[in-house]
Formats: sequence, C-alpha cells, structure tokens
Amino acid sequence: MWGEQLRMAWQSLRANTFRSLLTMLGIIIGSSTLVSVLSLGNALQGQVFERFIDLGTRRVAILPGDPDANGARVSSGYGLLSIKDFNALDKMVTTHPDIFRTIVPEVAIKVRARSGTVEVDSLVVGTGADYQKVQSVPLEAGRFFTLEEELDSDRVAVLGSLVTEDLFGKGVENRAKAVGQTIIINGQSIKILGVIKGAGGPFSSDQRILVPSGTARLRIAGNQDLPGRGLKMSSILLGLRTEGVVTKAEALITATLRDARNVPVGAIDDFKINSPTQALGILNGINSAITGFIAVVAGISLVVGGIGIMNIMLVAVTERTREIGVRKALGATDRDVLGQFVIEAATISLIGSFIGIGFAVALVLGIASAAGLGMILSIPAVIISLIFALGIGIGFGYYPAKRAALLLPIEALRYE
Amino acid sequence: MSTDVVAIHHVSKIFDGGDNRVVALDNVSLTIAKGEMVGIMGPSGSGKSTLMTIIGLLDVPTSGTYLLDGIETSGLDRTAQAGVRNQKLGFIFQNFNLLPRLTALQNVALPMVYARVGMGEREARAKAALEAVGLGNRLNNRPNELSGGQKQRVAIARALVNNPAILLADEPTGALDSRTGHEIMALFRQLNREQGITVVVVTHDAEVGKQMDRIVSLRDGQLNMDALHEYYGINTDALGRVVTEVPHVG
Repeated sequence: MWGEQLRMAWQSLRANTFRSLLTMLGIIIGSSTLVSVLSLGNALQGQVFERFIDLGTRRVAILPGDPDANGARVSSGYGLLSIKDFNALDKMVTTHPDIFRTIVPEVAIKVRARSGTVEVDSLVVGTGADYQKVQSVPLEAGRFFTLEEELDSDRVAVLGSLVTEDLFGKGVENRAKAVGQTIIINGQSIKILGVIKGAGGPFSSDQRILVPSGTARLRIAGNQDLPGRGLKMSSILLGLRTEGVVTKAEALITATLRDARNVPVGAIDDFKINSPTQALGILNGINSAITGFIAVVAGISLVVGGIGIMNIMLVAVTERTREIGVRKALGATDRDVLGQFVIEAATISLIGSFIGIGFAVALVLGIASAAGLGMILSIPAVIISLIFALGIGIGFGYYPAKRAALLLPIEALRYE
Repeated sequence: MSTDVVAIHHVSKIFDGGDNRVVALDNVSLTIAKGEMVGIMGPSGSGKSTLMTIIGLLDVPTSGTYLLDGIETSGLDRTAQAGVRNQKLGFIFQNFNLLPRLTALQNVALPMVYARVGMGEREARAKAALEAVGLGNRLNNRPNELSGGQKQRVAIARALVNNPAILLADEPTGALDSRTGHEIMALFRQLNREQGITVVVVTHDAEVGKQMDRIVSLRDGQLNMDALHEYYGINTDALGRVVTEVPHVG
C-alpha cells in the first residue's frame, strides 16, 4: 500500500511539475540554508578551535586587576603587575613541573621605531625566549631570540608583519629583506632577527616588536619600575602541561599571587587570570549564537514552506474531490485517502529538502575547496534537515488530508 | 438463506436542510435476487438516484434496513462500508469517472489496490478484465485517448474486477451515442446471461428500461408502477417480462 501511495504521489506531482516546484520553494530555501549555515558554522568553529589549539589552550595569562572593580582596595598602583609577582610565579612553576611548562613576562612599551627616514608608532613587548611556547608567533623569516640573548639583554628584536611592512615596504620580499637590518628605538640600534607571519585580527602580534625583557627594561623603557615593587609588567604568561590542569593551575596561581601581593582574606583578587578556554568559550558562544539564529531563520523558512504545502494541498483536495469520491466508491477507506494525501505532502516536502540539500552541498563544497577547508559538510545537518522536512510535510499535510478523508463519498462524487 | 442480493425493508431517506425538508425515499421495500437484471426508473426527483446511492452504500438511509448479499449494512462504520463497496459492489457511472492520470490498466487495477491485492496479481487480473470487455489492445492508454464507449468498457472492467455481487450502473448510456449505448447494454446483457452477474441499472431511458428483466418504478420517493406507462410509455402488460409488481417482501 505504501509503495502504491508513493507511486500515486509521484504521479500527482508529475502532473503539476511547475506547481509542485513552486510549492517546494520554501522547503528548498529552508533546507539549503539550514545545511549550509550549520556546515559553515561548524567549519568556522573548527577553525577557531584549531587556531587556539595552535597557540595552546594550554596557556594562562595574568593581567592587572581592575581598580574600578566592586570591592577593589584603595591603594596606589592597585592591581598592577611587577617583577615581584613574576618571581613568585616563577618559583611556583619550578615547584610544579607537572602542571606548568614555562613562564614569560610581557613588558609593553609604546614607542616610535625608525628605519632610515621612516618612522612608525609601535608597541615593544619585552618577553622571554620561551614566548613561542605560549604564544602563536610562527616566523616567516629569520629566527626568534635565544635564552642567551635574553639573559644578556641583547639589542635584538623580532618584528610583526605589519610593523615590518610599515618600515621596509609591502610584500614578502621586503619583509624577508628586513631580517639582519637595524632599526632605531629610543636612540638604541636594534638588530632584526626575524619576522612573524601575519595572522590578522586584534590579538595578533602583527603590530608588535618583540625584544628580550631585559632589553625592554634597561635599554628602551627607561624607568618602568613600580615604587617598591620593581619592573612593571603588562602581563605574565604561563604555559600549562595539558588542558586538563587549567582549573588546578588557576587555583595555584590565585593562592600564590594573593600571598605574594598580601591580599587580605575576604578582599577580591587584585589581578585577573585569563585562560584561553574562556576566550574560546566566548568565541564559540558567539559563533553558536549566530549559527543558531540563522538556523532558526531557516527553520522559520521551512515552517513557511510547510504552510505553502498546506495551502496547495487544500487546493488539491478541492480540485480532486471527484477523484476522492471515485476512490471511495471503489473501496478506499478514510485511512487510505488520508494516507494518500499525507504521503503526497511529505513527498513534496522531502523532494524539496533533497533539492535544497543539493544546493547546499554544492555551495559548501565550493566554499570549502576555495578556502581549502577540506570536507566540512555537516552530515547531522543534512539528517536534521530531512527529518524536519518530513515532519513538516506530514504535519502540514495532515489537515488537508483529513479533510479529504472525511468527505462523504456521495457528495464527493457529485462535486462539479 | 435467501438468494436475494439486495433486500431493502421500509427504507426512507429524508434530507433535512433546515426549512427545506425533502423526503427522497418514502418507506420503500424491495428485493433483488441473484442473477437478476433490474432497472430502476422514474422521473427526476423521483428518488431513483437516492435509491441507487443507498444500494451502493454511498449513503445511508434515514430509517429502514438494508441487507446486501446477506450483510446487515446499518451497523457498519465508514471503514467497513468501504470494504463492502470494494468487495460487493461494482459501480458504473454516466460520466465514466475514470482517473485521468492513470492508464486503462491502472484504472482497472484500482479496486484491487484497496483490496490489498499484490502488484503482479493486480496486473494480471486487470489485464484479463480489459480483455474480457474487448480492450486487450488499449491497456496502456489514458482515458483521454479512448472513445466514450471504450471508456465505459474500462469502467465496466473496473467494476467487475473484484467479482462483486452487483454491478450498479447509473445512466450507463447517458453520455454515449445510441449505437455505442446499445453495445454497452449488450455487454451488460452478456455478463448477466453468461456469468450470472446481478445487474442494476438506473435509467430514465425507455429503450434501456425495456431490456431489463424487471423494472422498479419510482415516483415522489415511492414505488409507483403507473409512472412507467405515464412517463416512458412502457406497456407493462404488453412487455411480458417486465415485472412491475413490488416483489416478495417478507
């Protein structure tokens, strides 16, 4: 019987090909939107995740506390980080090698850098040779500074791609040629060891000049010391062994820093711990929200498509009243007629969904191959879309089908 | 157990449309025996169509009882009615009522779809039925590719295909020219004589009526034999085989 009803549905769709296609339009648009948005959203999420894995979800940043925070104590230089904090944390890192891999400071200084007659505003960041282990700074040319160069506070630097281009001109050759040249910062000649590959985005190192922390402190900054606390640091980065120890690490850091900074019991932390898992969570949250929103819009389109199907099925039932009468005279039960029209509606919806998915697959694979993303088609999205379309076909087909089923045979036969 | 295929006792049908109350059938009783060829005649509004819809289980009487091939029909729900229509009744309509998108073969196979007959058997039986009405070479034609007479033959094949107890024809020659009409009536006669199929024909055509074994005549919803002569000029005495008496109601 099912096979027979499917065949009937197919015959009836073929009899009105153009109308059937128009009816499917809402479902086509809904399904293709759903599948392409969910696929691309997933891919984007994967991309974001990969980039974070790159520079380590295994990293924690300590940032200054907010002096305006509710519960902040009134004290001069509240929240600022210094080398005292760094040393306390360094000791903690040494005693917990199972949790921490490394620790590096970030001493940020706004400067004007000059090469020949070209001058640009930039940010010098003094850090350690281990910086590469906690921050994604892939080099395009040259090399990073070594531990020896760090300890000696040598006049060496690694440049971000944009700074390099501002100073030496655009293009990969110009950037490569910068290696080995010298730039002037605050009257100091500093030799360029390497250039960082451009990453884009506000959190990248594109605009930065990385130097050993001692170089920043002694040769560039002048006096950056906090009264009684030593060198001021903009942040401290800690590398973790695995992602699994983030919570443990945060607890250790909190205890260590509260102790080192004499934060009284009950007072709020006067520093911030920023783990990339949070950032990752926020980014993924935003991505999910956008994906979810578009998916809801696609879902609405599917529902609207369903209303279109209901509309056309009501028309079909009226048009085919006589046919229904004949079928009933020949022995079709109410259920037979109900089934025939529900299956017809479900068939329209499913075929529409298949067409929509076809478009989505073409679009997604096109984008994937253009962007070199590999296989990103979301199979769950395809399945969800098909199930949703089937449900919509059955749901919105039911009422017209019920009307057909309840027609009295004699009245249906006499219908003109 | 009687051999009556149709046994109608005191059946009335009243259409109650608010102020407009119409008594279409008024206490009608009649029986039709197996193997009879019976005409139902009467002017418009006489109730003959209503009687046919009740015999055909397309409508239910307001009161009275109706036994179809021994089945008491008043207690049947819609599904059971559909089953009885499918198994016991073969309908033939004035305007054929073939489904335009289906081929002759598919049209004839349709009652077997609802009887849940398997695809292979369906095709074989539908083919045999079409061959029996002389359309073995028109199996895959759609209705719009067939002449009126051919369409009606397809309809007859479709009506016969589930081996019903009654062939129920509503003005079967009404849309055909007289020669084709004769051919169709001859086919009914042949089916009735050779295979013993019970045939009930609703008609207002005297020529058709004269070919019946017996005529049930209606006027104003009641059996009325005078109407036959009055409206159709059928002389009941002269036509020996036209039995006009209301038959054996128990």
